[in-house]
Amino acid sequence: MTYSTLRLCQGRAAFEAVPIPRRSLDLRRLRERLERDGVPVVDARVMLIARFEREVTIGRDGRILVKSGDASEAARLFDRVRSLVES
Amino acid sequence: MARGVMLMSGGIDSPVSLHYLLRQGHEMVAVHMDNRPFTDDSPMAKVLDHLQILRERYQQKIPLYVLPHGPTQIALMRKTDRHVGCILCRRFMWRSAERIAEREGATFLATGEALGQVASQTLSNMRSATAAVGMPVVRPLIGFDKQEIEAVAREIGTYAISTRPGLCCQAVPDRPATRSSLVQILHEEERIEVDDILDEVLRHAVIL
Repeated sequence: MTYSTLRLCQGRAAFEAVPIPRRSLDLRRLRERLERDGVPVVDARVMLIARFEREVTIGRDGRILVKSGDASEAARLFDRVRSLVES
Repeated sequence: MARGVMLMSGGIDSPVSLHYLLRQGHEMVAVHMDNRPFTDDSPMAKVLDHLQILRERYQQKIPLYVLPHGPTQIALMRKTDRHVGCILCRRFMWRSAERIAEREGATFLATGEALGQVASQTLSNMRSATAAVGMPVVRPLIGFDKQEIEAVAREIGTYAISTRPGLCCQAVPDRPATRSSLVQILHEEERIEVDDILDEVLRHAVIL
């Protein structure tokens, strides 16, 4: 899957990546994968909030938002989530 | 002067609105709806810093009630139409503020809303939101434009706090409704247990 560049969101407290084109994720399956990996998840139906060392929001449309203002930390967590999404 | 409850978000507008009410001599109580995990820790820290400035300036205690709002957002996202999510969210904020007002012996509710700034701040949405409560709602900034509000925020020292890094609400849908009918809103609310949710919110209130 192709994503837009991981970019600092307007509030400067998070980085966001958007898939191009937008796609619909199976959040239930993703939630199961995350929980199998021991990652606590809040399931809000239209998005998951996964509690890694930082919280990561994964939208049903594939959008990934990492709650960190640190670019390298955000990139590392993005890669981890992306591998789960694509597995 | 009256006793009122002010909804504080951590943004630019609410401390300015509170400043005007305090300047008029009203005795105020603050309420912050804690929107984690749909935001981060920053709004709460900003509200605490805003209140510190205004407490010192007006020599008022201004108790702060912090109420959990994340579980409410989850219930709304799971069970109701996302399109009107912002209005349903606001209705819970108003109801929570009204419960605190009853507890505190306050007679009015207040907010930093100005017309047309964001999706929830159209006239029809404001009406749909505040129809959830019976108490008078005061909006000192209703006719202000953003630059005017920012100028006052700079003058009273709250602007730099409001503009620190922070996460916007992630529960906002892609296309929030800008016009809403109360009939539709009430229909959506039938899908959730409003009183149970509200009781739970109030049970977890923390005073700072």
